[in-house]
Amino acid sequence: MSARTGFRSAFRRWRADRPFWGGLLLALGGAEILLTMKASMKVVLHVGMQGLAGYLLPALMLLLGLLILFNPAQRLFYSITAVLLSLGTWLTSNLGGFFVGLLLGVVGSCLAFGWLPDQEPRRSRRQRRNAVAAG
Amino acid sequence: MASSSDTTSSADHTPENPESGSVCETSDTTDGPARRGRVRARRAAVMAVPATLAAGALAVLTAEGALGVQFAISGMPFTVTATELNGTGFEQFGGLDHMAPGSPNEGDTGGQVLVVTSAIKNATLTKLCQSVDLGGTNLLITAGGGAQKVTASDLTTDSTELSGDAAFNNIEIGNDASTLTKAGVKGPIGVFSQQADTVHIANLRQTNYATTAGVFRLPGLKLRFSDPGC
Repeated sequence: MSARTGFRSAFRRWRADRPFWGGLLLALGGAEILLTMKASMKVVLHVGMQGLAGYLLPALMLLLGLLILFNPAQRLFYSITAVLLSLGTWLTSNLGGFFVGLLLGVVGSCLAFGWLPDQEPRRSRRQRRNAVAAG
Repeated sequence: MASSSDTTSSADHTPENPESGSVCETSDTTDGPARRGRVRARRAAVMAVPATLAAGALAVLTAEGALGVQFAISGMPFTVTATELNGTGFEQFGGLDHMAPGSPNEGDTGGQVLVVTSAIKNATLTKLCQSVDLGGTNLLITAGGGAQKVTASDLTTDSTELSGDAAFNNIEIGNDASTLTKAGVKGPIGVFSQQADTVHIANLRQTNYATTAGVFRLPGLKLRFSDPGC
């Protein structure tokens, strides 16, 4: 462990206190869908809201993925919004970037939703409190 | 993993249960390795199960054609051409299409377009070409250029212009649109209409606002952007 450089261990520590894989997969999903959207901005503005939604939903997915990484305290709100957006891209953005982006987005938001900072198991906490009270 | 990391990493945990804050001071002394966040499988499943069900429902609905059948027309006319159209069971009547509320294509029309609805029970088209003017460039779709022809069943098109060389068998002109029988579609009552057993149109050219079909088979489909339209 001591052989690792300072940067790597710092990165591991940074990764440990946020839902890293959830946020990363979600951001990648949003980016993938954005890449499959080939329509030019001129066309999108001409078509109106229907065309704009195709860009808006994956862009929000990308943003929420980054927010989960850099503001993990709000991960519940971000992940619930993100899973709804991911499902919405099925209708708005090429069947969710030909399903790949939708899958990444849903898996990413589920991982972020299920993530918890490491805590002591409940039983041992009560035991410790008893031990403190006794001591 | 330096021991100093234990105190710094636990400081910015702000989970929803406030109890953990009080535990922190005691746990720092007992915890050997750094505290790492983990994905709890049961917690993730709370979201994963409904999300999977919803995704499956979307896929099934789309496959069955239940999603996207009721659509608001975009208000952008598109051109359809074909060198030859053969159909059995033909109906035609007037109608009114509505754009999505607040559509930028409304102009001074109030969002309504007067259209001629043509319905064909079974249609075969040769060298189908469809183009939408997107302002500067055209989205061009071609199909049926090879040996296999484009086939459609329960095809209805809402057009504002239609031209070609047409031939009809057993045509009835001047029916009420609500009494049509040949293609299984009924129009509004009190509207002029016509129907025929078979239809043959050469050099078909339509300006359409909407097309729907039960089954639309497009062999040799090509989709591309192109400067000239159809």
